[in-house]
Amino acid sequence: MDQTEQTIPMPVEEYSFPIFSVIGRRSEAFFTHLGKYVSLLWWIVRNLSNARKYSGNIAQQMVLIGNNSMLIVVFVSTFVGMVTSVQSAYQLYAWIPRSVVGSLVIKSVLLELTPLLTALVLAGKVGATITAELGSMRVTEQVDALEALAFDSVSFLITPRIVAGIIMFPVLVVFGDAMAVLGGLFGAVTISNISASAFISGMKGSFEIWDGVFGIIKATFFGFTITSIACYQGYFVEGGSEGVGKATMGTVVLTCLAVVVMDFVLASILL
Amino acid sequence: MILIENIWKQFSGKQVHCGISFDVRDKETLVVLGKSGGGKSVLLKMIIGLVKPDAGRILVDGKDVVQMTYPQLRALRFKFGFLFQGAALFDSMTVGENIALSLRRNADFAKGDINDRIDYALHIVGLDHVDHLMPSSLSGGMKKRVGLARAIALTPRYMLYDEPTTGLDVATADGINLLINELRTSLGVTSIVVTHDIHSAFVVGDRFAVLEKGATLMTGTREEIQNSENEEVRKYINSSISPSESGHA
Repeated sequence: MDQTEQTIPMPVEEYSFPIFSVIGRRSEAFFTHLGKYVSLLWWIVRNLSNARKYSGNIAQQMVLIGNNSMLIVVFVSTFVGMVTSVQSAYQLYAWIPRSVVGSLVIKSVLLELTPLLTALVLAGKVGATITAELGSMRVTEQVDALEALAFDSVSFLITPRIVAGIIMFPVLVVFGDAMAVLGGLFGAVTISNISASAFISGMKGSFEIWDGVFGIIKATFFGFTITSIACYQGYFVEGGSEGVGKATMGTVVLTCLAVVVMDFVLASILL
Repeated sequence: MILIENIWKQFSGKQVHCGISFDVRDKETLVVLGKSGGGKSVLLKMIIGLVKPDAGRILVDGKDVVQMTYPQLRALRFKFGFLFQGAALFDSMTVGENIALSLRRNADFAKGDINDRIDYALHIVGLDHVDHLMPSSLSGGMKKRVGLARAIALTPRYMLYDEPTTGLDVATADGINLLINELRTSLGVTSIVVTHDIHSAFVVGDRFAVLEKGATLMTGTREEIQNSENEEVRKYINSSISPSESGHA
């Protein structure tokens, strides 16, 4: 036998490093998902003309994402404003003017707190809902049925949800900002004994349009990220009802992680 | 005419199809028989391009579905009606909206025409005046009938039935079988029925394709199948058929 044809028996399991195979498998899975996600987004962009036919769905999704989330956003934002106000007042030295509380509240809620907390709340509410809806449609063959009826299921199901998210998240954040400021004012006046005029003058002194615009830009990115990840997770769900449950949980985890990372990236770039 | 030629497909390393071939002639009902999990439903999805085979050709009216672009596939799908195993009704829409969906988006129907079409399709499947109901309030048999109404609303040339009688009681299953036969005679559609229910298969089928281990074991008429010398075919038919049915064959 030729020397090169000889094979050396290799007990692979014994001598290999399991950690590398785990890393390899995880990396492969990650890049496979990333590739499919990017392909899905590319498909959406290429077929935007199809989505025009389904503009009614966009309006419907705007109502579902916007109207149905308004109450929780208002509630969370109001309390965030109140807490920010009370804690700011608590941390101030006695010789610092109390109007600074208004300044701290307006900066904190516009730049960071309202966009981030709204996104995290909606990652759970909107993201999970989208994944569960699309996942259920997938496992009950409703997505296949749409395709069988000659529909472009991505343009019909996914594009409207992403467009609605991009439009409605900033709207929710604007409402959230307003409620957080009012909550801050309420907290300052009722709990921290700061006069309304001092709070408002502090707010006016440090308010900049860009702070609000920055929050809206962030909300737009968050809206896109949350809805697109949720749609991806639901549309490609596998494994029946159990798969839908796992995908829904995965959406909440992934979107929360994506939001905080994006929050940092946007702050680094834009501020 | 539909021609399935040497189809191969594997999922997650498991070979499901190993060279399936058969043809479906115009205006006939071909029943695909085989055990559960044998890839029969996948085969139906391949015919309208929902799943791509790893190898092989699927010709519909002489055009290869496997090579078609997405716009070509969507155009092809107008020719098909598909009854899914669980009916696959859109549960956020009423029965009427389920049927109207394809009419509104894919055809030039006036609103009045759409309502007439809904009534007509529901009448054909024997479900008058249920268009306002939600799918969740329907029984399994009714869901299948609504699924059928949705599939035939655009008067397709081809009908694909995925386990149309599975999970239904005998009377309801007989009703569905009757409908399949009526659709063939009244609308002249070419049909493929996938099932492991031999009784239903013999009621609706003109010809049969028996699949075993991912390959076509035999194609032929009821008589040819029942008188087959092939031991695997005999074993499959005998294991699936009840003594009373085999007696009157």
